[in-house]
Amino acid sequence: MDYQSMLAWSLPIGVGMAAIGSALGLGRAVGSAMEAIGRQPEAAGKIQTAMIIGAALIEALTIYALVVFFMLQGKIG
Amino acid sequence: MGLEFIDRSLRSTGIVLLVFLPFGVYYIGLYPTLAIFSGCIWSLFNLIFISAMVRATIRPEGANKMKTIGLALFKFPVLYLSGYFLLKIQIFEPHFLVIGFTGLFGIIVLRAVGRLISNVDDHTTKSIQEVK
Repeated sequence: MDYQSMLAWSLPIGVGMAAIGSALGLGRAVGSAMEAIGRQPEAAGKIQTAMIIGAALIEALTIYALVVFFMLQGKIG
Repeated sequence: MGLEFIDRSLRSTGIVLLVFLPFGVYYIGLYPTLAIFSGCIWSLFNLIFISAMVRATIRPEGANKMKTIGLALFKFPVLYLSGYFLLKIQIFEPHFLVIGFTGLFGIIVLRAVGRLISNVDDHTTKSIQEVK
């Protein structure tokens, strides 16, 4: 198997793995935030802030994977 | 560190971006600066939409379903398609788009570190306790 074939196989798998990882992380983060807000409703603002920033950072990781995909896509074929 | 932290971070990023524009054009060129600018603006809108969706969903009086659905229908197709378009057109280098995209997070981290070093949250908590 040559370099380009390996790239063509691995790029979509890599992006898929990044998406799965982000989905699991985001689900866990939001679930934990909901539990925390349920336990301490008065701290909802602080928890929401941390959750929003965390969600944006997790989403950013998937987008980085997508950018790398686009950068390496040109090297296939 | 309440929800206003996000609004202030968005505002700070906008100001930093505006200050950066002329220097960027002068030192690194027009297209790289435009790429950084576009990446940062995309990131700003992304955070604005995430923040608005969370605020519409998680609130004491119950979720505002119509607003949440409207925001989701706008964010996911429109924002992601525009991101795809930015990456797909050959004018902008992806590296510079990523730098712009990361700029917002850099400012958030710097603001959080600044608050940590200056103990702003501790002072706020203490002053609230004193008032009570």
